[in-house]
Amino acid sequence: MISRILRPLALGVLALGCSVFAAHAHPHVYVTMTSEIVFDSQGQMTGIRHHWTFDDMFSSYATQGLESKEKGKFTREELQPLAEVNVTSLKEYDFFTQGKMNGKKAEFELPVDYFLEQKDDLLTLHFTLPLKTPVATKDIDLEIYDPLYFVAFEFDKKEPITLKGAPASCKLSTVKLGDESQSKSLSESLFSRPDPNNPFGAQFANKIAVKC
Amino acid sequence: MSRLWLLVGVVAIASLSIALAADPALAQASPFGAPRTQLAAPPDGIVGWLLAKQSEFYRGLSGAIRAAKKDGSAVWTLFALSFAYGVFHAAGPGHGKAVISSYVVANGETWWRGVVLSFASAILQAVVAVAIVGIAAVLLGATRRTMDGTVWWIEVVSYGLIAVLGARLLWVKGRALIASWRKYRAGNAVHSHGHGSAHANDHAHSHAHHDHAHHGHAHHHDEAHGHPHHGAACSGHHHHHGHDHDHDDHASAWGHAHAPEPQELAGPGGWTRGLSAIVAVGLRPCSGAILVLVFALAQGLFWAGVVSTFIMGLGTAITVAAIATLAVGARGLAQRFASSRPGPGMLVLRGLEVAAALLVLVFGIALLTGYIASERMFA
Repeated sequence: MISRILRPLALGVLALGCSVFAAHAHPHVYVTMTSEIVFDSQGQMTGIRHHWTFDDMFSSYATQGLESKEKGKFTREELQPLAEVNVTSLKEYDFFTQGKMNGKKAEFELPVDYFLEQKDDLLTLHFTLPLKTPVATKDIDLEIYDPLYFVAFEFDKKEPITLKGAPASCKLSTVKLGDESQSKSLSESLFSRPDPNNPFGAQFANKIAVKC
Repeated sequence: MSRLWLLVGVVAIASLSIALAADPALAQASPFGAPRTQLAAPPDGIVGWLLAKQSEFYRGLSGAIRAAKKDGSAVWTLFALSFAYGVFHAAGPGHGKAVISSYVVANGETWWRGVVLSFASAILQAVVAVAIVGIAAVLLGATRRTMDGTVWWIEVVSYGLIAVLGARLLWVKGRALIASWRKYRAGNAVHSHGHGSAHANDHAHSHAHHDHAHHGHAHHHDEAHGHPHHGAACSGHHHHHGHDHDHDDHASAWGHAHAPEPQELAGPGGWTRGLSAIVAVGLRPCSGAILVLVFALAQGLFWAGVVSTFIMGLGTAITVAAIATLAVGARGLAQRFASSRPGPGMLVLRGLEVAAALLVLVFGIALLTGYIASERMFA
């Protein structure tokens, strides 16, 4: 008797539950990036230099209301306060960059040499993330992505990653671009404070591996 | 019929609905400690497709605005894209479909009110987005950081209102559930003496505020009681399977004389109550709309951005209304089955309402505390 009530009711609730949670946000910021893995003269990796170009909508949103001599055009100097704000607030997101050196988690210092530039109405943020201590390493694994997928990172097709000053033995072994996985499994997660083992955006992670 | 079973049923339904709805929400939030379950994995294909479409439409918007700058007729492309984006995007978080659906279920709202709530809140969202960009960017020349700050405050207020709405619903619905439970127990106690009127009275009360009563639908029980039953409304057409056991659902002894019950106060009430839901949901502007507006402004086509925002709102409203309609249907279904088992059925229905009310509260709190990420813009 109870089951006569429960079954349809459960179905109803199921339908409701499914419909209510049936989708996910999409990114509101699209970043096209190139990254350099930087080495010193001893062949030790010292850090990563990112060049992130934002999409047109976000670029104009970011510069909204900023003072400039020429309307809609911004010089590097005029954009510097904004660059400052960007790198400061990126800290909260660990610069969307996770690294492992020889299997050990990489520790990064605060960004240096950062600036924004505007080209064809698009903003590009340049910054270097120095490693706390340079390391001679055989294996470098980097992942660049937003776990919540509010920011979509995509490598530049032409020149995604360069090794700068790397010992000749170092080779870029894998580059997995985020969008390759896009058509595959998309698990559901509307929610922040992601499960570190399974964040939503991880499916769109850009993975880089360097073997020396 | 055993009360234990009944209790199990109510608890099962309540926890099922909460688990279904809230589990993905809370699984990742360690304070609630729930492990991630299978339920969190939906059909990949559909979600993936939705996501891809949303992104595609969204990314097309800026190109359409640029094109419209050169060729006026391209605004039609912009408007079409805006509509499509609105329809698809509403499936994402932050457009109140969860809150509105839960609200509709908890409050036993009609289909029409669900639709009106959906449209009103979507249009309000568009108005708020236009107001923010219009005042902050166009009139005051504010920077995006000022706008971010404004949106942040609006979000806090909106989420707070959702939590308050949920708390209020929970209070009313919780009391209704307790009242139903007490009556059910009282009814059972009477039944043990072989008399069903107290229980039947409960049923009449519970349904009195619904209006599709079927007068003159006589059958053998009515004859026995000597008068027809109105009021057993949501039971609709279920009386043809004659119950011949002691839990019958006919308003007999105390008939239609009833004092206001908590559930009546909470029923589809005035528009004032609906307004609270509209404001709570509609206050928070869509990030996409703000970006489009600012971009349109930068391109010197602010008006096109405004029209696009309202068209997006329309698209959003259609999706939210469709989902709210599903919710109303689900509740209707529950109600039909509840009425086929008057005593316990009513309890299950009240349990469902409490679960839905709880859900609204949980959403509000989760949004406020950041456990549910709404759309976020870059740093």
